[in-house]
Amino acid sequence: MAIYLFQIINGIGLGMIYFLIAVGLSITLGLLGFVNFAHGVFYLLGAYLTYQIAAATGSFLVAALVAPLAIGALAFVLERGVLRHTYDLPHKYQIIATLGVVLIVQELVVVGWGPLGHGVTVPEALSGIVMLGGFPYPIYRIFVVAVAALMAVGLWLLLERTRFGALVRAGSESAEMVTLLGTDVRLVMSGTLVLGAFIAAVAGVLIAPIRGAEPNMNIEALGIAFVVVIIGGMGSFTGSIIAGILIGVIQSVMSTVWAEGSQLMIYVAMTLILIAMPRGLMGRA
Amino acid sequence: MERRKFIQMTAMAGLGMGGLPLRGALAQGNAADLFMVSAFSGPFAANGKYGEMGGRLAVKRLAAEAGRPLNYTTIDTQGNVGVATRKVQEAVAQKNARIFLGGALSSEALAMSREIHKANGLYITYVGADEVTGSNCNKSTFRWSVPTYGAIHETVAPVADLHPQAKRWYTITPQYVFGEGLLNNAKDVFKAKGIEHVGNSYHSLQEKEFSGYLANAVAANADVLLILNFSQQSIDTLRQLANFGLKKKMKIVVAWSAGLDHFSTLGADICDGIYFGVQYWHQHDVPANNEFVKLCRENFKSAPTLFTAQDYSITTMAIKAIAQANSTDPAKLIPVLEALKWDGLTGEEKVRAFDHQVEKNYFLLRGKPKDKMRDADDFADVVGLGKSFVPQDQSECKFA
Repeated sequence: MAIYLFQIINGIGLGMIYFLIAVGLSITLGLLGFVNFAHGVFYLLGAYLTYQIAAATGSFLVAALVAPLAIGALAFVLERGVLRHTYDLPHKYQIIATLGVVLIVQELVVVGWGPLGHGVTVPEALSGIVMLGGFPYPIYRIFVVAVAALMAVGLWLLLERTRFGALVRAGSESAEMVTLLGTDVRLVMSGTLVLGAFIAAVAGVLIAPIRGAEPNMNIEALGIAFVVVIIGGMGSFTGSIIAGILIGVIQSVMSTVWAEGSQLMIYVAMTLILIAMPRGLMGRA
Repeated sequence: MERRKFIQMTAMAGLGMGGLPLRGALAQGNAADLFMVSAFSGPFAANGKYGEMGGRLAVKRLAAEAGRPLNYTTIDTQGNVGVATRKVQEAVAQKNARIFLGGALSSEALAMSREIHKANGLYITYVGADEVTGSNCNKSTFRWSVPTYGAIHETVAPVADLHPQAKRWYTITPQYVFGEGLLNNAKDVFKAKGIEHVGNSYHSLQEKEFSGYLANAVAANADVLLILNFSQQSIDTLRQLANFGLKKKMKIVVAWSAGLDHFSTLGADICDGIYFGVQYWHQHDVPANNEFVKLCRENFKSAPTLFTAQDYSITTMAIKAIAQANSTDPAKLIPVLEALKWDGLTGEEKVRAFDHQVEKNYFLLRGKPKDKMRDADDFADVVGLGKSFVPQDQSECKFA
């Protein structure tokens, strides 16, 4: 029995990482209606910048502070240079443009850092384990859960309690009306996309000491992000948290129940929820 | 200038210029075309990149011995069975390709092997599945690397002997042909050594999160965790088990490691104390390997990795066969290869005629502490090495 309790706790930790990977995609997809297949590259670059900065400075903290900001700035340039030109176009053009970005960035990563992965050492202060019911659990993973929880609270406050959040929500309902009221909706959209990239980069930073940085990590992340968004409901912040934790727990518990099916069960859960609740757990009508 | 002399010079110049393409064509007809098939993109891109370095180094090193020009062409299989099969078919049909070298995955190598055999070609590979020189063997296909049978016998058995008190073993296995091969062989050795197999976690080829499987090993109260996956997945497994502090709770054995690539990616702190089975180790002190390491350091400013070493080895095999047969016809190369014996990177290496498997050493390494490393690549000590292969009377290979 203890193993199942442990797997649930482990799954919650995993789910918080999945939440961070997915929430930015949920915002851009649900609130902006923009299909961003390039979301995973922000996560990828977040992990690689962490590796690079930590290797250069010897400090994970410096890397954790600088990498998301740098990725946010990059996302702003990308949005201005490429993505905003597809906002008013059908989704297929957004998919083509963002997939192009994925291919270019991924190949640049291979050219710059090589096809093999790189490791990032867990900071000394966060290394070690605690015992949970006879099972070891890394202190670093507890730190990741804490950071993800803080990010979740901060993000909720930003979207629900600030003028920026109100503009994002209003812009998603009626961009024309918001424009007529004197707000530059394009700037709000830029800000939203940059915010999504920033959060994905934070996920990349946090995952680097657990899984390292390797050129294909964005593919898995994008797959997980879409599952979280579909289960949670597009644009739903709360839905992203619930869905992230749900698939984390399913994956972790299934590792014990039916190990070979643990990945499969994530998609089975998504299918079942899609059938029962086509808009996801917390999706808007 | 006299008119006759002018005509003579013009004629000679014309002949000379016209003769250039003719000479080229003659040389081209005499050339050996080697097609290196591997993944240059996707998750297994490292195989292609570092493999090509080894293949081209062998071409450069053995150019004189070959006795003819050597053309070395790469084909990107993307680590995808469908792509690999189609590209091999195209190369056979459009470029008259007959000599193929490489393969990133067992599954794609098995598929390519069938296609190349159909085209009466020659294929030398290094993938792991027993089937390549076992139940799915064919006359066209040769393998340099030790298959899963030998990898398990040269890792599990010696570690069991080193730690006789460690009787409870847990396994983590990727669910495809290569993983199944390792697991089945491991079960045989467990039985022979009186080891209790306390559990196994299968996982998919896409898996990145291993914490759940590691918890299973803890729950099973295992003395030894035997990791049967490969490449990025074993890197992820090792990184996560180090995070979970499992190195202090149980012995860790990686049956099939990429060696130096793994160590460099993981770092000495994680590798310290872990047992690794490897096909090649750059510190193995034999003349051919010492020369190869020197060549790599001169050409690439680094010690050779497994990918570089294995492509160097199979390209060397092909060129030696071409030189001895004085032909590029696979029908003439195959009998030469079947009797081939040479001083290779792992010591004496020779081909078994009955299944086309190369007999070579497999190494068992143990990661060493960072403060014991003599140089940047000195990650491990060789604990053991040996040759274990399916005996002829038990071989499933039957050439048609």
